[in-house]
Amino acid sequence: MILLWGLPEETPVAAVRHTLERLGARVFMLDQRAVLQTEVELSIGTVAGGMVRSRGQEIDLGEVTALYLRPYDTRRLPGVRDRGPRSPAWRHAVTVDEALWTWADLTPALVVNRPSAQATNNSKPYQAQCVSRAGFETPETLITTDPEAVREFWATHHTLVYKSISGVRSIVSTLDVEHVPRLRQVSWCPTQFQRYIPGDDHRVHVVGNHIFACRITSSATDYRYATRQAEDVQIQACEIPPDCAARCKTLVANLGLEIAGVDLRRSPDGAWYCFEVNPSPGFTYYQEASGQPIDEAIARLLAAAKRRAAAPVRVHESYRSKHKG
Amino acid sequence: MLVVIASINDPIARALVGLWAPLDCRLLTAADLSRVGWRCYVGTPSSSTAVVGGRMVDASDIDGVVTRLPSVLEHELVRIAPADRAYAAAEMSAFLTFWLSQLGCPVLNRPTATCLAGPGWRRERWAYEAALLGIPVGTVSRRADSAPPVRTQPATATVVGPRCLGQVSPSLAVRARQLADAASVDLLSVTFSGRQSGAAFLHADPWPDLAPPPVANAVLDYILGGAVHPARAGAP
Repeated sequence: MILLWGLPEETPVAAVRHTLERLGARVFMLDQRAVLQTEVELSIGTVAGGMVRSRGQEIDLGEVTALYLRPYDTRRLPGVRDRGPRSPAWRHAVTVDEALWTWADLTPALVVNRPSAQATNNSKPYQAQCVSRAGFETPETLITTDPEAVREFWATHHTLVYKSISGVRSIVSTLDVEHVPRLRQVSWCPTQFQRYIPGDDHRVHVVGNHIFACRITSSATDYRYATRQAEDVQIQACEIPPDCAARCKTLVANLGLEIAGVDLRRSPDGAWYCFEVNPSPGFTYYQEASGQPIDEAIARLLAAAKRRAAAPVRVHESYRSKHKG
Repeated sequence: MLVVIASINDPIARALVGLWAPLDCRLLTAADLSRVGWRCYVGTPSSSTAVVGGRMVDASDIDGVVTRLPSVLEHELVRIAPADRAYAAAEMSAFLTFWLSQLGCPVLNRPTATCLAGPGWRRERWAYEAALLGIPVGTVSRRADSAPPVRTQPATATVVGPRCLGQVSPSLAVRARQLADAASVDLLSVTFSGRQSGAAFLHADPWPDLAPPPVANAVLDYILGGAVHPARAGAP
């Protein structure tokens, strides 16, 4: 049994589900929108087991061989958000989320990707230490609350970009003269500045042992928002050097991930810079443009997972969630 | 200089800072992350500066850190506009995770990607790890309608580096250290159902009460590498 957890219509989830069903795999789609009709019961001993019931269906978590996670923050879903943090609905949603996240870290099933492995993306400079150890270049970086430090760093490196430190998505922007009056605002919160690296953007999806590389051509500083900025973007499948591909695989493995989207830029002098490893890539954006069968690779990775032997549960910690509101 | 990272409302943190005042111990709170003075050059931590207790300091002057926060809490960012607090808290937490990870001095506990101090495990994960080590795990329920479990004389072992404090049997002390090893932490309290060998695991806490002098002294010894210092609690 392969468990998918997220929103059924979200394109990566829909693509993986469709491919799994075409392959004839047994799939249980746990729809986040049904969180208030979902019950989770966990038993924790030397193995993590339990049951999930949702919309009249029930699965034994011990039967799950593979898990594909793409949940949103359940508290933001309609029906939960509207009722507020003190409502039974809100508490129930949080409990279901916590139970499933806990189980996803402990189950012997293949998990794409385990929550603890996804977490390095919560701090980009923290993750960058792993990136450097894998042999990639990383840009010179300053994190500061000091406007004067920004000016000095800017004078040294001539062109800077600024971006979020955390996993909260932000638009990478170039620092220019119109930002100068606002520089004093960095005193409110540490802000990350990096030397601008010219070159060609590449997105490399690592799926198990498979590599799907594509080159992105855009005049936007952050190509993900090129359309919003009235800039053009082109995505084409490409090959990357074998040593670069090997580094991508090593990096993803070192982070404990089964799949990832690795953001690279090749500078004019041929150096490969890595900006970030996305542990829950929205791969369909690239797949639709490049034609690469990433969904097929993910589905086959999930389908190939075998049921792993579980030791008998000797003692239990129960974790039950049943919404009564 | 010693640094205690904590909520502004943490009385244990304030007590430690008072106790270790002769060592120039200072409290770092969320407010310090909204002050001019932080300069963190990634890859060259020796040239970085920080703000602790409202004052800018060289990161190389910090001799040890005790972290008593899992993350920066948005409700403590009272000087930041309410609409921006969640984002600022995430950014500050992400920054501190990195900053703490690259300090060369002793840090209790080292951060991970999920928590500013230690692994950030939920109690189910602690129970799972204890069970893997062969420690009996008592039944605990989260159901709101369940009766409170009957516990007789629970006993707590507090691991501080190689030492284990508390009135527990030597075998339980070993178990507590093993659990700390499994979590890659050097500061952990582990509560068992009793003090005798064979007692069941009840829960673990990477933020133990550091107020008792033996624990505070053990933490200080850990940070100072075993050196005896007049700031030890109870010292003449």
